[in-house]
Amino acid sequence: MLLTLILLPIATAFLILYSSTRIQYLLSAAVLGVGSFLSVSLFMSTERVSFHLPFLLNAMIIAADLVLLIYFLVQGKKFNSPKVIVLAAAQLLLYIYAEYAAPSGRSAEIVVDELSRFMFLIINIVGGIIVLYSVRYMEDESVEPYKKRHFIAAMLLFLSVMNAIVCANSLLLFFFLFEMTTLASYQLIAFRNDEISRANALRALWMNQIGGVVILAGTLVAALVLDTVMLDTLLQHSGGMLLFSVALLSMAALVKGASIPFDGWLLGAMVAPTPVSAMLHSATMVKIAPYLILKLAPVLGTTLLGGVLSITGALVFVAAAYLALSRSIFKEILGYSTVALLGLMMALAAIGTKESMMLSMVLMLFHALSKALLFLAAGVLEKQYHLKSIEEMSALVHRAPKTVGFIVLGFVSLTLPPFGLFMGKLFAITSVASLLRERPLLLIVLVSMIIGSTLLVLLYFKVSSALLSNPSDTVRTEKERIPQGFSIPLVLLSLLILFAAVGFIVIQHDVLLALFTLPLLFVFALPSMIRSMEHYDRTAIYHCGEKESFDAALVYYEPSVRIKGMIYWGFGILFVAVAFVGVLS
Amino acid sequence: MIWVWIALAPILGGLVYGGERVLRARMQRRLGPPFLQPFYDMFKLLDKRTLIVHAPHALLAVAHFFALWFSVAAIFLGWNLLYIVFLHLIAQMLLILAGYSVRSAYSHLGANRELLMLVAYEPILILVAVGLYLVSGSFEITGMIQKGNYLAQLPLLFAALLMIVPIKVKKSPFDVGEAHQEIVGGVEIEYSGVFYEFLYMSRFLEYLFIYSFVFIFGGESVWLGAVLVAGVFLLVNLVDNATARVRTPQMIKIIYMAAMPLAVLNLVWILL
Repeated sequence: MLLTLILLPIATAFLILYSSTRIQYLLSAAVLGVGSFLSVSLFMSTERVSFHLPFLLNAMIIAADLVLLIYFLVQGKKFNSPKVIVLAAAQLLLYIYAEYAAPSGRSAEIVVDELSRFMFLIINIVGGIIVLYSVRYMEDESVEPYKKRHFIAAMLLFLSVMNAIVCANSLLLFFFLFEMTTLASYQLIAFRNDEISRANALRALWMNQIGGVVILAGTLVAALVLDTVMLDTLLQHSGGMLLFSVALLSMAALVKGASIPFDGWLLGAMVAPTPVSAMLHSATMVKIAPYLILKLAPVLGTTLLGGVLSITGALVFVAAAYLALSRSIFKEILGYSTVALLGLMMALAAIGTKESMMLSMVLMLFHALSKALLFLAAGVLEKQYHLKSIEEMSALVHRAPKTVGFIVLGFVSLTLPPFGLFMGKLFAITSVASLLRERPLLLIVLVSMIIGSTLLVLLYFKVSSALLSNPSDTVRTEKERIPQGFSIPLVLLSLLILFAAVGFIVIQHDVLLALFTLPLLFVFALPSMIRSMEHYDRTAIYHCGEKESFDAALVYYEPSVRIKGMIYWGFGILFVAVAFVGVLS
Repeated sequence: MIWVWIALAPILGGLVYGGERVLRARMQRRLGPPFLQPFYDMFKLLDKRTLIVHAPHALLAVAHFFALWFSVAAIFLGWNLLYIVFLHLIAQMLLILAGYSVRSAYSHLGANRELLMLVAYEPILILVAVGLYLVSGSFEITGMIQKGNYLAQLPLLFAALLMIVPIKVKKSPFDVGEAHQEIVGGVEIEYSGVFYEFLYMSRFLEYLFIYSFVFIFGGESVWLGAVLVAGVFLLVNLVDNATARVRTPQMIKIIYMAAMPLAVLNLVWILL
């Protein structure tokens, strides 16, 4: 089953290269169906699967890795980016040294544990839906047909890379797949091939390469001092340089999760076509960050390193939510809120208790669903209405009631009960509060969590204020039609969000919590209630004698340059501090 | 018995509101409206012809009222305080969405202010819940009011709570939500007749909601709780008569720079 998950998207990717649009729909729907079925059935089974890779495959991976790094070097030279060149060269040297120093493997390179199975769910279901959506999205893109097919194929290839990375046990294999995701990011951001895309792609490349460098450094420490490059054996060690190695690996997580000061690459990535933003930059790829911390969490536990990581994550949550308040491009707002929530997930993972790790996973799942929905809806706005900035979206509900409905559902599902993300935050507050007596430092995490969540409420509802604002019923509303290729993925995601939220509440066995689902009843009863309101007379809006037309006022908070500088420097110092704490403890 | 109180909650709140108007008038050496004025207003509003802008807008006000009633009921029943804060959050969001759902500048301005008020007081409410939990070991109100002595251990947190009470009941210096010179009716502007009555009654429930938090600080002693509520009630109205309104950003700044550090400091103190 595992092999199917990895190989099926690759095989389909090749088929897509030679097929018409209709076949593309069929193939991507098939990948979605089979992938979801396999990942759900894998999730149900509980056995731990592990196996060695054949020697030949290992050799091929080493060769591919070298080619990849050399490709980065060439790209750096071609586009004249010294940072990319230096980092690629450093990686090349470190990689060769690490392969040379790596002890021959005693344990398996591939291990499928509970966490991997959970990640399969997210990757295959949400990822599959996004691939299905991207077929329709590409129809409207003004590029040559072969490029469209390449795009969909690349998305599918990326799915299999993601499926592989979450069960990689060998750090060197993990590094290879990490670099593959970086490559995917780089290629897909540069897809439109204009000046901005190119510059942003290069920035994404060099920032992610820092992640590659620290992974290799961590691997080298593990190989030289602890004599292993396998994650599971590494985590069974104790003392010595273990924490240093773990610290270096978690720094890679911070980079991949676009934590401040690395938020630039994720924000820049928003110039890519929307399915890319949905898939790579919110639903799946950046989830490597919390995934990696969750992997390392058993040794983080009560160590100082775990404390520093969770505080960093929690502060990123607040800072990114705050910085998002100054943005007006819809996708950038979504991007910053992704950075924020990834920080929260990492913070919870790094706390390292069983409960907090579970909550981190819950947040990951629900965030993937909600953000995918939001990005896909943003794609509809972009393709059908040519809108990107929230300033232009004033009273959009009048023109596009359905799309706005999806967006508001996305916002509500990120902030309010009874939806999973809210529940995750609620339980996280309870859980962290119960730990406070033993670990007072977590107070920082708790307070950040509270303030950050409130800021996100402000952010999302500020955006909805522009979208909503319907004129009075005295003005006629026109009907909106969303093409089926867009509406089916959107409806699928909405249903998943609803059912997952209700399911999550049901498994808590708490009657009081079930009361939180009451607002849903209100929403479902709304149409019939609206019909019953017909006998009330309608009126136009009161303008207090003013004649000017209405213009929705949006609230913005822009930190001054000094404060912004302080935020970036502060997080830069925290990032370096992670390594120092690793060395010292 | 408790269900009777829950059923009567809006009326109870109405009495508090009526009493407050008399009290404020006496502080200003005025006679003030009759004590039962809120109920006279009700009869008048029900008698009026109801005009609505569009159906969801009107319905959201009704939903806001019932959600708020629900959270007050949850307080009376002694449920989990953290859940109650979030039930209240739902109620507030319904109101804010209602404000945003019409194409009216004043309604939008009012909803913006409601949202910013929420940003100011929400973290403090949660911190109060956490502080009470740390001392009593329970998030349930029934558990909290079986222990005493919160004031001795959480004085700064209580001060932080005191600072947000005026926001919730819309009193100076934090009455930005009700600044009719600036935003006319705010969120309420497009409502009339029976739907306005729902919003009017929601205000009564807000009183019960926020003063319940004050009451919990009394702990096991009902009398201490009652004295605290009465004292805070007097103090808030005194301050209301004696201060001018601050601007919204200033309000947020004051809450985040003064109330928040107080609350956090108090938590640090009881943890160490």
